[in-house]
Amino acid sequence: MRKKALVVDDNPDVRLFSVAVLKKNGYTPLVAEDGESGLRMIKAEKPDLVILDVLMPRQSGVRLYRELKTTKSLKDIKVIVLGEIAKKAFLRSQKALTEFGDAEIPEPEIYLEKPVEPEELAEALKKIRG
Amino acid sequence: MEIKKLLFVTKFEELSFDSLRSLLNLRDGALEHVVFVNVIERDRVAMRRGTGYQKDEEIRLREAANIRFIDWAENLFEQGMEVGVYIVVGSLVPEVIKASQKEDADLIVIGRSHKGVLEHLYSGSDVIELLRRAWIPVLVYKHLSETAISVEEPFDRPLLAIDWSPSSLRAVEYIKALKGVVAEVNLVNVVSEKDLNGAAATALSKTRKEARNKLEKICEGFEAVGIKAKEHVYVGDPDEEIEKAAKDCQTTLIVLGSSAKSAWVEKWLGSTPQKVAEESIYPTLIVPPERDPPAETE
Repeated sequence: MRKKALVVDDNPDVRLFSVAVLKKNGYTPLVAEDGESGLRMIKAEKPDLVILDVLMPRQSGVRLYRELKTTKSLKDIKVIVLGEIAKKAFLRSQKALTEFGDAEIPEPEIYLEKPVEPEELAEALKKIRG
Repeated sequence: MEIKKLLFVTKFEELSFDSLRSLLNLRDGALEHVVFVNVIERDRVAMRRGTGYQKDEEIRLREAANIRFIDWAENLFEQGMEVGVYIVVGSLVPEVIKASQKEDADLIVIGRSHKGVLEHLYSGSDVIELLRRAWIPVLVYKHLSETAISVEEPFDRPLLAIDWSPSSLRAVEYIKALKGVVAEVNLVNVVSEKDLNGAAATALSKTRKEARNKLEKICEGFEAVGIKAKEHVYVGDPDEEIEKAAKDCQTTLIVLGSSAKSAWVEKWLGSTPQKVAEESIYPTLIVPPERDPPAETE
């Protein structure tokens, strides 16, 4: 059975790009255009993988990632962060939230900084599949 | 009426990260989420004879805005804040209204309009249009280079202009909810000269005394929540006297309730909130009366 992957990104061009690469690599793609609808879809569809943007309307990838990794039923879903901000800034933002009293969470499996080539994303998908 | 989420509307030339930084003490209240909005005006990418829709220009403008916002967002994320972004092509006011509905924002921050007198007369100012349509408070930020004053924290010492309208009384509650952010508030009521026409000196004193007593009651309400408050009564033209009071009190922000005049009357005769928002050197917060947001549009 093909694995399900959800692309959460507000940029339609990036959604198209990610969907094309996912299809080519044997995934069934799903899409959401902001953090809130992304979380709803994750809960409803329980995808095997989430490709997550960071800067989005409604809820950022920083908070959505945290929500995923602190929710028992969702924390094993693999995540590729495909964000605009530097990985260093993403990790610092998570650290800041931890300092404000939130739980500690693991680093994302893979962090890719936009823009990426299709081969880079395909390589990341391969790594995730193991 | 806490400010948890603010919408920061910028074209970059009038509002920079520096302006946003000056508002970050709102975190001592309830602020936790900033949403950046950049609207690329349609005519910048519209169809041109021989070239069609300027898609390349749209991509260039989007990318330029995105790069700026990424930098700002990294800064805020690293402080533990939540950040969102809208970069859209359209007309400024409808897009800002749409984003504030989607985000359920508590405050819109926008820079002063730079249109000329003629442009204002024929097409109106975006800021004024936004003040008319917004159902949440709007802060019209004045950039430091436009003013002779240096405002480090606009919400530190606001001047609250009260005309006893429902919206100005709502502004009282709005500022009260900012305890921890506001250090001191000055309340001013301007008695218009035309209301005193022909009145004797004793009548003027009586009016002043009545206004003072009413203001004192509001001051007590502020003191009760730990905000220092002082009342003032000025006589004259409200637009001018509010500015004078702001200078006298060394204020950092002028706060007014929005006008109840119709859009048509405001366009031709103006209104005090509109004039202060557009002309004052001080950042100006306009609080609308309580009303429901319009139905969400996609």
